[in-house]
Amino acid sequence: MRTARAFLTLWLLSFRRLFWSIGTPMLLLPIVACIMFLVRRNYGASDDPVQAFHAFSMFLLTVFASFLVPLCALAFGTAGLGGDREDRTLLFLFIRPLPRGLILLAKYFAALPLVLGFTVGSLWIFCKLAGAPGRAAFDAYLPATLYMSVAYTSLFHLFAALVRHSTVAALIYAVFMEVLLGNVPGIVKRVAVNYYGRSLMYDAGVEHGLNAPDAQWFDPYPPADARTALWAIAIGALVAAWLVFRTREYEEPT
Amino acid sequence: MSESTELTFENVTKFYGPVIGVNDVSLRVGPGITGLLGSNGAGKSTLMKLASGRLKPSLGEVRVGPHAARSSAAKRLLGYCPDVNAFYEEMTGREFVETMTRLYGYSLAEARRRTQTALERTGMADRAERRLKGCSHGMRQRIKLAQAIAHDPRVLLLDEPLTGIDPGGRREINELLRALAADGLTVLVSSHLLAEVEQLCDRLVVVVNGRILAEGTLGELRNLLNDEPLTIRLESPQARLAAALVVALPDTTHVTVRNDSVILRTRNAPAFFAELGRLVAAHQLEVRRLETLDSGAEAVFGYLQRSAT
Repeated sequence: MRTARAFLTLWLLSFRRLFWSIGTPMLLLPIVACIMFLVRRNYGASDDPVQAFHAFSMFLLTVFASFLVPLCALAFGTAGLGGDREDRTLLFLFIRPLPRGLILLAKYFAALPLVLGFTVGSLWIFCKLAGAPGRAAFDAYLPATLYMSVAYTSLFHLFAALVRHSTVAALIYAVFMEVLLGNVPGIVKRVAVNYYGRSLMYDAGVEHGLNAPDAQWFDPYPPADARTALWAIAIGALVAAWLVFRTREYEEPT
Repeated sequence: MSESTELTFENVTKFYGPVIGVNDVSLRVGPGITGLLGSNGAGKSTLMKLASGRLKPSLGEVRVGPHAARSSAAKRLLGYCPDVNAFYEEMTGREFVETMTRLYGYSLAEARRRTQTALERTGMADRAERRLKGCSHGMRQRIKLAQAIAHDPRVLLLDEPLTGIDPGGRREINELLRALAADGLTVLVSSHLLAEVEQLCDRLVVVVNGRILAEGTLGELRNLLNDEPLTIRLESPQARLAAALVVALPDTTHVTVRNDSVILRTRNAPAFFAELGRLVAAHQLEVRRLETLDSGAEAVFGYLQRSAT
């Protein structure tokens, strides 16, 4: 009972600190920029609904899945644990009787609703603004968004457990692995989380009018395998973060 | 008086990669106030981190009562006031202490009651609504102390607790620590302000190069140093006669006369005091005051450190 109460206290503390962190207004900037773009582009006004769906889907694939989802996960995924490491407040948690594994889980489950809230929330807003193509797109792309959000959040928690300045490390990862390697032709892109997410999005979007990608440029992973890969990344990264955090000494010699 | 809990280090060695932080340390810290003395890099912060379960010993074992220091059971018995000046800056002092207390699993009402008591004991009850980022260093130190005692620990670790606190505040904190020690609490204070440790602590532990060099009361430590040179001031209206007599003693190395005072240095304090008694009786010397000038903690620590290097 005491441990459960302590866990809830830490969860609430972490959630509140993340929500009121600088990450929240910083994330609103690209979301507002996307909203302005969508209002100006007005996909719903198109005479060709299939073409409108394709165009809107390409916006979601290139901007939302490749950039905004990792950015949301990065903002909250690294800040939960990484913020305490950088501010040196982690020691106040370590001297409490809460096991280290639970400290990590409290941080993870505090970040996850915020990441999901921002990714799913922004997807919903974008789809609403897109009109008719957006209604089909929300249902089609929601599962991929959820999978990617969870996988990225786990991955960035692993970064925070491993590296002191995890936000910088995660940014470098996001730029090099997700944006650069995730978009090169061939199988190299399999190192990027968003490759699996975009594979799911292509699979879900084709029946609504999304053109299948050029196989030379982007060969989608089979949807069942992509889901498995995203689950494996989410669970594997979280377990690895948990193991690292439980055993690692976050102290420098004095 | 509550049940007492010991802090025990058993053959503890801690490596930081190839660097050795503490080396085969065995130490029992019981109820009362124990001072941990050592220069920078001596290993006292490592000992504090090992005791608070933040570090795991490479060899040996650290226990709080019967529990391994890294266990949750040990952490329930332990209060820790770190030397790090880090907080959740956006919180008020009260919010911080209350949140830290709730992390022990107390209900909100119980945590609030404990927070209020801890803030009152540390003299912060009337200033606890200030945001921590606007608090002075002394106020932050008191808040750190409050979060360390709010859950009624049996072992209290204080890393440089008096830094930044004004003299009046130091007296208050010292009184609080003495009251806690009188209640059977085991208090371990690390400080580089030796004069404060001397006033506060029942026992001293001297750490040099990652090893425990000496431990005991200040008097016991001083007795270890009978062979060390000692500076003595003797006040007498016959200061010149006194100087002439003591300078003839074989172990006297230095004598200065200033008005009615003779300041001298001897290599063998016990022999000097024995000889001085004989000289006073033989020459009917009037001695108004006799004091050792360097038997405080600073001098003891200095002697011990010099003898270790």
